[in-house]
Amino acid sequence: MREAAPQADLLRTHEVAKRYGSVVALRSASLAVAPGEIHALLGANGAGKSTLVKILSGVVGGDAGTVDVHGAPVELRRPLDALEAGLGTVFQDPALVPDLTVEQNLRLTGVSPERVRGWLAHMEVDVPDLDTLVKRIPLPILRLLDLARALAHEPELLMLDEITAALPGDYVDTVFGVMREWRAQGHSVLFITHRLGEVLEVCDRATVLRDGADVATVTPSEGDERTLVEAMLGEGAPTRTAGHRERDGAPEGPVVLEARGLTARTALKGCSLELRAGEILGVVGLEGQGQERLFDVLSGDRPFEGGELRVEGQPVKPRSPYDMIRRGVVLVPADRLHALLPQRSLRENLASALYNTVGSWLTPVRGERPAVEGTIERLEIDTRAQRQVRRLSGGNQQKVAVGRWLAAGFRTLLCFDPTRGIDIGTKEQIYRLLRELADDGAAILYYASEFTEAPVICDRIIVVYDGAVVTELDPAEADEATLLNAAHGLEENVT
Amino acid sequence: MTTATDERAGSSATTPGVRLQRWLRRHGWTIGVWLLLLAFILWYATLIPAFGEFQIASIARNSLPTVYLALAQSVVVIAGGIDLGIGALMVLANSASARLMEDQGFAMTLAIAVGVVLGAALLNALVGLLIAVSEIPDVVVTLGMLFVYSGLALLVLPSPGGGTSPGLRFLFTGSETGVGTNYWMPILMLALPTALLAWWMTRSRRGLSLYAIGSDLGAAYLSGVSIRRAKVVSYAVAGGFAGLAGIALTTLANSGDPRFINALNALLASLAAVVLGGIVLGGGVGSVVGAVAAGIILFTLNPILTAMGIDPNTTQVVRGVLIVLVMMVAGLLEWRRRRAE
Repeated sequence: MREAAPQADLLRTHEVAKRYGSVVALRSASLAVAPGEIHALLGANGAGKSTLVKILSGVVGGDAGTVDVHGAPVELRRPLDALEAGLGTVFQDPALVPDLTVEQNLRLTGVSPERVRGWLAHMEVDVPDLDTLVKRIPLPILRLLDLARALAHEPELLMLDEITAALPGDYVDTVFGVMREWRAQGHSVLFITHRLGEVLEVCDRATVLRDGADVATVTPSEGDERTLVEAMLGEGAPTRTAGHRERDGAPEGPVVLEARGLTARTALKGCSLELRAGEILGVVGLEGQGQERLFDVLSGDRPFEGGELRVEGQPVKPRSPYDMIRRGVVLVPADRLHALLPQRSLRENLASALYNTVGSWLTPVRGERPAVEGTIERLEIDTRAQRQVRRLSGGNQQKVAVGRWLAAGFRTLLCFDPTRGIDIGTKEQIYRLLRELADDGAAILYYASEFTEAPVICDRIIVVYDGAVVTELDPAEADEATLLNAAHGLEENVT
Repeated sequence: MTTATDERAGSSATTPGVRLQRWLRRHGWTIGVWLLLLAFILWYATLIPAFGEFQIASIARNSLPTVYLALAQSVVVIAGGIDLGIGALMVLANSASARLMEDQGFAMTLAIAVGVVLGAALLNALVGLLIAVSEIPDVVVTLGMLFVYSGLALLVLPSPGGGTSPGLRFLFTGSETGVGTNYWMPILMLALPTALLAWWMTRSRRGLSLYAIGSDLGAAYLSGVSIRRAKVVSYAVAGGFAGLAGIALTTLANSGDPRFINALNALLASLAAVVLGGIVLGGGVGSVVGAVAAGIILFTLNPILTAMGIDPNTTQVVRGVLIVLVMMVAGLLEWRRRRAE
């Protein structure tokens, strides 16, 4: 039954590929979904799951490969094409226009409000008045509205991209109920999630993507978590070198940054950590587990509601990033151009952080030139395209993002995925630089979306899951499989 | 932002009281601007010895061009754009219609009017297409169009002149000579296009798509809205209303006036009306109905200040102060509401 002939498949993609600029998001993804099954799409961060869903829903065009529905090739150029082909999607981000009412949103997409109301009632959701503005509706309800709207299109294949990530437990069960019912009606579901427990609970089959290609299609059953994780990582997962950790036995520095039970809306649910001077503390987590908000809160960019934040023992309630910068806590964000002044010169960018130290209008900045020159030398920044920072390569831009804090002085460095999209040579340089900084007594909090990174450069690793730090690992024992298991929140279930 | 009460506010059994409350809150700004207009007119009525049909007719017909232009700008701004060329397009329509309609009969002038409105819509649709395809910011392209349209107007009609038919003058102003006490015709010409546009913007799928692209491009795209088409439609509709404003101007003055300063004044008035009318620059929020009241308010300031015996040159100062004042009061109310939540 499961090994049915190709034409029996509801959906079949063949070697679909997609690149964004020089970044390959999908190399060659083939996937087959049979009628009447719940099919999971799995993969580590950046494996290409969301890209595949975007292609299948007509949001982005694929570069190569074919998509067949019921054996006939379909062209998916716009979201409408996908709907007409019977592919309905609930995207990772809400697809409802915030300034319109629910009813107007439904009219915009040509969906009958009656059907949506029917589905909401069926899900036993406390049906929001359809005349409410979307921006006034809480996120979990919005996700269910998205689901109800997708169902109202009566898609043959319902694609759910991490719908459960923003849902509390009881609503997750509701969604599972809908998925099972959709299957019972002979339709199919393509289900994307980071939570392996959910896969075992509801899915008939699972396709695993790794590095933009499909590597396995399995029928998951109880106790298969390890198998799935192995498939996601691959048997030839690169073995790590001990890297730069030569600090065994070094005395522990004082705690410089301490968080106790931080809460922020739905993103952080009691997050605690201690960061000591002279160490690199790694943060590991799957996408959307609250790590972004954690860094935003620690850098003073966004407020926290509950819990306590201490810098060098003093409680802090920052109102802006400047409050944290004054206390020596600085951020290197993932989006480099977001942090820099892209149109301005290399030297101005490096000097920009110095201006925080000057008090009044007329005091000149002292020692700007030596600080800037010293930083350029120390970081080996390529100065050929120095007139505008946006013309520098990604790696050099990241060096500037770190370098301006180097020029201005800091005590705690928060690095959020600083090596995203950077070549291996520059990565090594950044690793070495961070290690030097830590050896000089800086405290560094380091998040990397690639799981291979943290064990290489970190002294300790903490794992975030569902808005909280769930466990701490010793990098020597943290191979990728252990990390992935912990990041899936499996620690308590399996071991 | 959202509270627990919002989550439960709901259920299918919403009482009429709750509905009314929400309706008042959602349309608070629009209602407020109309009340302000009413207050201004009442104030004006107490200032002059005899307030009657003549004054109503005068206010209604003389605010027609401003109101049409406010509607035009509203559509573009709601869809997330801004049209700096709209005043110049009005002047172009004014110049072209005045030249073409001179010494023509009613039927011919009506046909020309329709042609000018459609032509203006088509012209501005091309501007929208240029913006959508090239992805050059709206401000840049329409700033260029401000000069292009103004130049074209001077080519069509090098100096003030031209004319129109008495019948068309009656259609817009309620009088074949442009003066009189018939206020029904101009009020109808104010209300009908406004009602049609308001209905289309909030009820039809195409109209809602303009709100959608102004509110959240990503969500609009994922909802299946064609971003480009919506952009082009917003500029086309705005162009049509600018054409209508030009025709109204022709019937009011029985002539055309191609001077650049008219284009600038009209543009700034349209932007002021949009802001005062509660439409958020940036898109997605607001109602064209509010912009209409704001357009009339901006016009009514002139006779009020004249009646008070104040130098008419201070009108601009008062306009500016009024805009800033209203925005500050609105900001204060919003701040208090947020704090209360």
